[in-house]
Amino acid sequence: MSQNNHEWEMTNIQFGFIVYEKCYQTNELRTFFSIEDNPILGDRYREGRKHWTRMENAQSFRFDLKCKKTGELVKFNDLMGLMYCTGCLPDCELDKLRLQYEAANTMVIVAFGFFPESLEKHIPPKKLGILTDYFNQRRNSRRSRIKVLPFNLIKDLSKCRGEFLHDVNMLTKEPPAPRRKPLFE
Amino acid sequence: MVESTNLEQIKIGKLRLIMLMKNIKQALEASVIAGEEILDTSFEHVYASDLMSDVLAFGKPNSILLTGLATQQAVISAHMAEFKGVVFVRGKLPKDGSRNFAINHQLVLLSSSMDMYDACIKIDSALHKRTKIKTTGSKESRNEEMVLCQEFEILGDDFTSAGVVSTEIKSILKKIGFDPKLIRRVAISTYEAELNVVMHANRAKVILSVTPYCIEVIVDDAGKGIPDIDLALQAGYTTATDEMRAMGFGSGMGLPNIKKNTDQLQIQSEVGKGTRLECKFFI
Amino acid sequence: MTLEQLCNKIDLKKMSQFTDKEINGVFVSDMISDVMAGAKSGNLWLTVQTHKSIVPAANLVDVSAVIITSGKQVPPETIELASKHDIAILSTDLPTFEIVGKLYAIGIQDS
Repeated sequence: MSQNNHEWEMTNIQFGFIVYEKCYQTNELRTFFSIEDNPILGDRYREGRKHWTRMENAQSFRFDLKCKKTGELVKFNDLMGLMYCTGCLPDCELDKLRLQYEAANTMVIVAFGFFPESLEKHIPPKKLGILTDYFNQRRNSRRSRIKVLPFNLIKDLSKCRGEFLHDVNMLTKEPPAPRRKPLFE
Repeated sequence: MVESTNLEQIKIGKLRLIMLMKNIKQALEASVIAGEEILDTSFEHVYASDLMSDVLAFGKPNSILLTGLATQQAVISAHMAEFKGVVFVRGKLPKDGSRNFAINHQLVLLSSSMDMYDACIKIDSALHKRTKIKTTGSKESRNEEMVLCQEFEILGDDFTSAGVVSTEIKSILKKIGFDPKLIRRVAISTYEAELNVVMHANRAKVILSVTPYCIEVIVDDAGKGIPDIDLALQAGYTTATDEMRAMGFGSGMGLPNIKKNTDQLQIQSEVGKGTRLECKFFI
Repeated sequence: MTLEQLCNKIDLKKMSQFTDKEINGVFVSDMISDVMAGAKSGNLWLTVQTHKSIVPAANLVDVSAVIITSGKQVPPETIELASKHDIAILSTDLPTFEIVGKLYAIGIQDS
């Protein structure tokens, strides 16, 4: 928790879909934010040697944070989404931190960038600090605190079964499945 | 026949909420995305959900859907579930695909900046207000379930507007599917009362309420009042001016004609204050 | 009004273990993204969603309670996680629109 003179609020809220595409040739995953009206599942197309298949459309939103006091604007268009760590992987660095924070009555939330770019270029820690501040500032209750950590602490992304705070299954005509598949399987 | 089913259910006393899309538009300060010309469509249930599997599984026909899900799936699901329209809350706006689908399938699409709680409250309050009006009615109707209650206003001294309220009431009753003979009696009585207001009062409130057993029209004016009600009920008695009679009104047939067409008529009047007519038509 | 007072006025089933909290308004949505973008601290969150991800979302935006409407069965793992994070999960058989009417009738205003 940082002491600072900022008071953050959400601004430029835009609803849309996080689209997940996968290339089965190279096993690459790529994600992007889309504001299309009617997401299409199973969309396939070729791009050079890669064959992209649309895997999932998760409903989500993007936003920026603006300081009420200074007017400073911090863009979060590189944030794909937030995930709750379920402690699914043994010896996962993130899980170890989660346990430490939970002992101090703080819930850990994992910030994801888009793929593949965020695998190379992480969301700056300063921004995650600002996001942490935002969530804590707006809390009235003394129930607990929030800590936002980067996803690169996860031991093995391809096996992670953390819970994304996205909306999936909103559009289906079936009741939602009890357990989600790992997104990076 | 949808209409006869409606009538049947009203007769057996089952509560059916009947509101019009335009009432919702007004209550939610909503903008119309599709279906401007079918805002007179009535609906019977409200379903608030963002989960389309629920809409399909539990939504009742003739509902409206309140949702924050501004995708084409919401509109398609509403259509599949036989809904009459969709209200997008929190200022969400569906795109052209949804709009075109709605136009092709006779669905009303509205968008309101209110959040879901506010929107539900506004609709609930509109219904609640209607139930409250019921208690101001006469004793017999107090314990009945209200099916519909709507308020109108008539402005005096304006002959051109005479007939607006009775026409509206007629079309509402027609939509519910009542017997045309019954509708005719209600429409004539309301029109006569409306004319009386235009001729003799500054303004009046008209309340139409429909219970499973009875249609009631209350016309409450702030006018000069009737000094002798028994005399006014005699055919030919008139206090109309020459000008009014020149226009073909004021032949003194108003109240007698209302009495003839109603099953029960109550008149309360106080000179200088106003007149209240309670016309009942048994279903 | 607090959660305990609410439960005394309206028939709501307590699903998780929680400490009493002050209620500040209501937010109705079945979408986690809407809740994260729009709910305020202390809101009662009304939803038909029962998946356990509602718990971290509820905690993140600091709602006073989640009310599961329409008699949806709440999975044990959701309840367990809620109790762990001191998130109140309440449940009603009434559909969302009807429970809103009841909340409003006992004086819970929009925030």
